[in-house]
Amino acid sequence: MLDTGNVAQLSMTANQLRLDVVRMVHDAKDGHPGPALSAMDIITTLYFRELNIDPSNPQWSDRDRFILSKGHACPALYAALARKGYFSVEEFKGLRGLGCLLQGHPCMKKTPGIDMTSGSLGNGLSIGVGMALAAKYRKKTYTTYVVLGDGEIQEGIVWEAAMCAKKYKLGNLIAFIDHNGWQSGGAVEEVSGLLPILPKWEAFGWHCQTIDGHDFSQIIHAIENAKKTPEPSVIIARTIKGKGLPYMENDNSWHKRVPTDEELAVAVEVLGGNANA
Amino acid sequence: MLSYKGTREAFTKALMDLSVDDDRFMLVSPDSLKAMRATPFAEKYPDRYIEVGIAEQNAVAVAAGLASTGLVPFVATYGGFITMRACEQLRTFVAYPHLNVKFIGINSGVFGGEREGVTHQFFEDLGIVRSIPGITVVAPADEHQVYHAVKAIANIDGPVYLRAGSGREHIVYDPETPFELGKIRILKEYGNDAALFANGFIMNRALAAAALLNEQGIKVTLADVHTLKPIDTPGIATILEKCKAAVTVEDHNIIGGLADAIAKISTDHCPAPIGRIGLQDVFPGSGPAEAVLDCYGMGVRDIVAAVQTVMDRKR
Repeated sequence: MLDTGNVAQLSMTANQLRLDVVRMVHDAKDGHPGPALSAMDIITTLYFRELNIDPSNPQWSDRDRFILSKGHACPALYAALARKGYFSVEEFKGLRGLGCLLQGHPCMKKTPGIDMTSGSLGNGLSIGVGMALAAKYRKKTYTTYVVLGDGEIQEGIVWEAAMCAKKYKLGNLIAFIDHNGWQSGGAVEEVSGLLPILPKWEAFGWHCQTIDGHDFSQIIHAIENAKKTPEPSVIIARTIKGKGLPYMENDNSWHKRVPTDEELAVAVEVLGGNANA
Repeated sequence: MLSYKGTREAFTKALMDLSVDDDRFMLVSPDSLKAMRATPFAEKYPDRYIEVGIAEQNAVAVAAGLASTGLVPFVATYGGFITMRACEQLRTFVAYPHLNVKFIGINSGVFGGEREGVTHQFFEDLGIVRSIPGITVVAPADEHQVYHAVKAIANIDGPVYLRAGSGREHIVYDPETPFELGKIRILKEYGNDAALFANGFIMNRALAAAALLNEQGIKVTLADVHTLKPIDTPGIATILEKCKAAVTVEDHNIIGGLADAIAKISTDHCPAPIGRIGLQDVFPGSGPAEAVLDCYGMGVRDIVAAVQTVMDRKR
């Protein structure tokens, strides 16, 4: 099991998890590596530093909650959960297979450590609002974290959730927007004209920060800030789709694509880990 | 003491009674508090009342989040807005993870929407939810049954969709008649010439038709199929075996609801001619509640004629 740690350790952990993602998708011959790698450093920081969780008791009622609203990035989450000890890394081999623990998109009833089913875009923030409201009602101190894609916030329900979180002053809700600039069909701005993102959230009354989503210090600092504010908080994390592998970075063909044996070997070399770890 | 008048009030009364000794019950409202007659709940339990505004998808997804922590939220609003606007949230984030969310859909049927017109007449809701795995589907016949049914569904773990009306529902049950989830209730047993299977707030018409047929010498058995899913297959098959002809009566499109459910049981267990009273796969118009039912083929005379037709067919 990898250890919680400082920035250097987090960086090493993220490299291992990136390699896990590439290996998973390579072995399954299916999956979304690019979106997983852009969110990887956020997920690594959360699981290996921030989240108050107990892998031996996944249903612990006081645990922090995490929702991967951009559920197609789930290889990143599966890698984190396995390396935290929720299940064996041997499960990676079954990704997207019949009867497997690791479904094509996250399933809370099949995979230990998944707090909420996801995969149909736009819904995670509303569900996070429900979890955060439950914490207030039950006077629990847990924090609910949601990771959304930037393309995902084209969905109308995201803004329904944004209104609701503001109304109920959900300071215990922290959203990350994995702002890699791409979605399935192309560049986010070309597909929908979404930019600028931050003023929209400001207008909805959220505490807003913009950071480099691959800088662990900035991620950690932003979470600290978010926890101090009484308002719901959004952290717009500028990221690179496919981050960590030169052949994958900012190439949207890797939204859903299977690495070859050679590309896996390059990943092993670049990320400095062991693909068979 | 059953102090309510109308199915929406019956829902609120049941929820308030449930909430006295159980702090898990919540109400999630997409600006439906007044429509649901649920203001007393919000006043008594303000911390259990979540108002999300006119945002049904958010309401259902928020409820999923609440339920994931062990709370038991009721999402209560117009049935079509739950089952159509928020269908995916209901399906993927409540039914799929089998979360304990209860849905109360008002304005059910042509009768429930009446003068509002098609935007508020919901006659596809049962078919939509019935096709989603793992969700219990209930269409009680009057306010007393709604009261008891709300209590019954609160006691099971998992998602439920329950129909309510809009204030014009006829009372057909004694207040104390229990509601047994998953079991049909035989309301009249004049004889075995034909079976009438009915549910929802058209039950008064089914009762009237059964009585009229009896006067004409046609003896039918009338069963309330209030639980559409899981359906009481043995109970229905037994009646079909005796009667060998049936008419279904529902304020719903004849596609997807009771008619299809009974036809499946008939096909599987006891093939028999079946007549289908309901909306005949058309968009209705607005109008006075009783008049729209009459206009769209759901009158007492239509039921009587359908019974006569299936009896001819079984010969």
